Amino acid sequence: MKEITNKIQEIATRLFNEGKADVFLAWEKQGEDYQVKPYFARSIDDVKNIVFNEYSIHNLSNALLKLRDGHEKIGIVVKGCDSRGIVRLLEDLQIKRDRLYIVGVSCPGMKDPLVAGRNKSGFNKIQEEEGLAKKCQDCIQPNPVIYDELVGSEQAAKLQGERFAKIKAIENMTADERYKFFEDTLSTCIRCYACRQVCVACNCRTCIFDEMKPQWVGRENNATDNMMYHIVKASHMAGRCIECGECERVCPVNIPLMLINQKLIKDVNEFFGPYEAGMQYIEGAKPAMSMYKEKDPDNFL
Amino acid sequence: MKVLSKAKLETVLNTLNENTEVFVPMQKGVQSGYFTWKSFENGKDELMLDVLNVYHSPKNVVLPQTEKMYGIKSKGVEVNIDKTYEDNHPTLIFGARGCDVKGILAMDDVFLTRGYEDSFYKARRSNNIIIANACYNPGPNCFCNAMEVNPVDPVGADVIIRDAGDVYIWEAKSEKGEAITAQIASLLEEKDAKSPESKPFKQNVDYTGVAEKLKGMFEHPFWNKISEPCSNCGMCTYVCPSCYCFDIQVKMWGDEGYRFRAWDSCMYEEYSREAGGGNPRGAGKERFRNRFLHKLEFYKERYGTPLCTGCGRCIVVCPNDINIVKIIDAVKEAE
Amino acid sequence: MSDHKCTCSEQPLVPTVVEVIDIIDRTPDVKSFFVRNVDGNGVPFQVAPGQCAMISHLPIGESMISCTWQEEQEHLEFAIKRVGLMTDELHQIEVGQKIGVRGPYGNGFPTEACKGKDMVFIAGGIGLAPLRSFIKYCFKHREDYGKITILYGSRSKADLCFKEEILDLWPKEPNTEVFVTIDNAEAEWDGHVGFVPSYLEELNPSSNGAIAVVCGPPIMIKFVLQSLEKMGYNDEQVITTLEMRMKCGIGKCGRCNIGSEFICLDGPVYYLKQLRDLPPEW
Repeated sequence: MKEITNKIQEIATRLFNEGKADVFLAWEKQGEDYQVKPYFARSIDDVKNIVFNEYSIHNLSNALLKLRDGHEKIGIVVKGCDSRGIVRLLEDLQIKRDRLYIVGVSCPGMKDPLVAGRNKSGFNKIQEEEGLAKKCQDCIQPNPVIYDELVGSEQAAKLQGERFAKIKAIENMTADERYKFFEDTLSTCIRCYACRQVCVACNCRTCIFDEMKPQWVGRENNATDNMMYHIVKASHMAGRCIECGECERVCPVNIPLMLINQKLIKDVNEFFGPYEAGMQYIEGAKPAMSMYKEKDPDNFL
Repeated sequence: MKVLSKAKLETVLNTLNENTEVFVPMQKGVQSGYFTWKSFENGKDELMLDVLNVYHSPKNVVLPQTEKMYGIKSKGVEVNIDKTYEDNHPTLIFGARGCDVKGILAMDDVFLTRGYEDSFYKARRSNNIIIANACYNPGPNCFCNAMEVNPVDPVGADVIIRDAGDVYIWEAKSEKGEAITAQIASLLEEKDAKSPESKPFKQNVDYTGVAEKLKGMFEHPFWNKISEPCSNCGMCTYVCPSCYCFDIQVKMWGDEGYRFRAWDSCMYEEYSREAGGGNPRGAGKERFRNRFLHKLEFYKERYGTPLCTGCGRCIVVCPNDINIVKIIDAVKEAE
Repeated sequence: MSDHKCTCSEQPLVPTVVEVIDIIDRTPDVKSFFVRNVDGNGVPFQVAPGQCAMISHLPIGESMISCTWQEEQEHLEFAIKRVGLMTDELHQIEVGQKIGVRGPYGNGFPTEACKGKDMVFIAGGIGLAPLRSFIKYCFKHREDYGKITILYGSRSKADLCFKEEILDLWPKEPNTEVFVTIDNAEAEWDGHVGFVPSYLEELNPSSNGAIAVVCGPPIMIKFVLQSLEKMGYNDEQVITTLEMRMKCGIGKCGRCNIGSEFICLDGPVYYLKQLRDLPPEW
């Protein structure tokens, strides 16, 4: 990891020197190894704070949304899943390709700094597993799909066994069992909207859940409104989710959000595919749910 | 002194639960927070009285995430408020740490003073009893001592229990506390026991002068850098024991409905968004700055004590590693 | 930070149901609503000039609206502009509709402290509504106040609120001058054309023994305050009323704060001197 940090710092220095970047998005460490956070380096003096270690799990393409209205040139470090996020933003015309200098890092799998933090906090009676982060255990795309410069050697996908095994198990439940399962899980939601904030695919300027005229989903924290929130959000994610898993990682009540998202990934691929969001950047290409083709399935109409 | 043998803890909780709704810190499946003792399932859930704290604070006992306010019936020009939903059923928080108790006291200042008494909060709080769990072993993120909280003798608790090995030393501190003690008097024993020794705090946070210094730092450039990683997700406000901002909204089905209030977060964009579209805190940095100033300066100016209680929860749950202690340090170092 | 004597009930968040007895169109998007107790007798509370109340179109929502002061408080009057969800729906109701009100909230204008001074009222658009309370109070207690100057500007002739008062009634009051301006020239308008801040500097009312009271869109307030400073008004001679999004109206929900002040409870009326102490979020 040290060589990757050095290489990234070298690239950042070069970009600032050549005037090719006004801001460089990477990570910085403040304290312990796991106390890593997204970092906006804005000058050569900031470069020494840049690190890349096994806790650099955050999806920096989400931070691009803060900069989408500006004109600054942006350098950004992305891993496999993160780079799919950049492709999604480019497809949705949220940011221009020529503003970005993308440093791709082939990702060996990350550890979850939130788990490390919780284990050390004194709040856990039983220590959580601190190996590979849960979201990284099913990784299918460790290598960046878009980059201007590549760092690190090619990595193998981590997924073992069938990709949608857990989804199929839920599909095999009866409708009542499935409803009960989701009602139980989603009723614990505290509607903190963290899943929405960390999601790259969620890039609407005024989110539907912030609209008041009309108000689409009530603010109450009961099973009905919670389920509406998650169902509406998931439908908006259809064809957009890049499987980075950040939503599930940050959820404070541990809702298995990726189950819902992966079901939609499977369905979009089956009905409208073959299609995986953000897997490759072809200029002018449109995501599956943004196009109408005559052979789109319509037996539900 | 009065002591409660740990072997009799469940009996005590059951006895108390006969007359009041008892909330205990619990690990319930994958969640960690204050849940009702009635919902405790042996084998699946775990009592967390011997752990530093739980992730969600007990503020939902006095200020629930959602609560109905009053019912509305509306037909044509006729409108009627047919009932108000004040809930004063007795509740008991068993085992709150000093930081959480201070959070509730801070909310008492907000909801019950300055001319208006919030009738819904008042109803809940008037029949609420707090049994505090004295804290002798601070965690790595704890700094309650810098925030005017005494972890071993928290102000505002009706009863304080101290973990002395196989017993809890039981000390009533108020009239309500005495009443509760009398209720379970038969389950307590008279015995001598030694309180544990307080371990030192793992970080040295010095809050003196911060509120005064912040008064002149509203436009200071350090806010730009320090607010950058924040994604305005709002998790800090949900786990914080003293965050109380709420939203009032209405739910109607045809002619009937009710007005309710729900937790809101100053981190969301529409928090201060005005009807005409103007927003004095439209940028993430402005909301970030408002939150920390509220915790560290505005509340102290208005009520005399900081709103942050030093529990450290926000530090643990923030996905982008934002740390209020580091912000306090940055304020002290800034020019 | 003031302590409040509230005249509302023990349940400050629950509104009282009142009946709308009259609705008057003032401009294409401003209407005045007059309400009275459902049993026909009087009003649920009395207001001082500058105070506001929470108006509730119960099935939709609530908004904080400035309440117009009148000497005989037989009804409550609210001038409401159509800007958002609740006000949109409210503009479609008819006389006889029941709505909710709760209040009075806010600190009101310092009518006592201004006695003996020359009053300069500067308003823009719907901002004339709160100032109208103070102006009416001054006219009712005319000997207590010196010369009264009123400067009012709006986007267009159609957007001028309270036309009868500004163009006809008020200029007739003793020792009173009323100046009206609109932003852009129009066919049937032969009055002044121009923005309020520049017209103010043109008129240059003397700052000697005067108090300026300002209300309008935030951008207008900003420029007017700059002009007043140039004209020699010190911070204790300028009063303004602020606005923020409000939900509870009683200083509990947190969102209307500017610094450690809650605009619903400690404001909305502030001397400029007090505002200098607050963070510049207005």
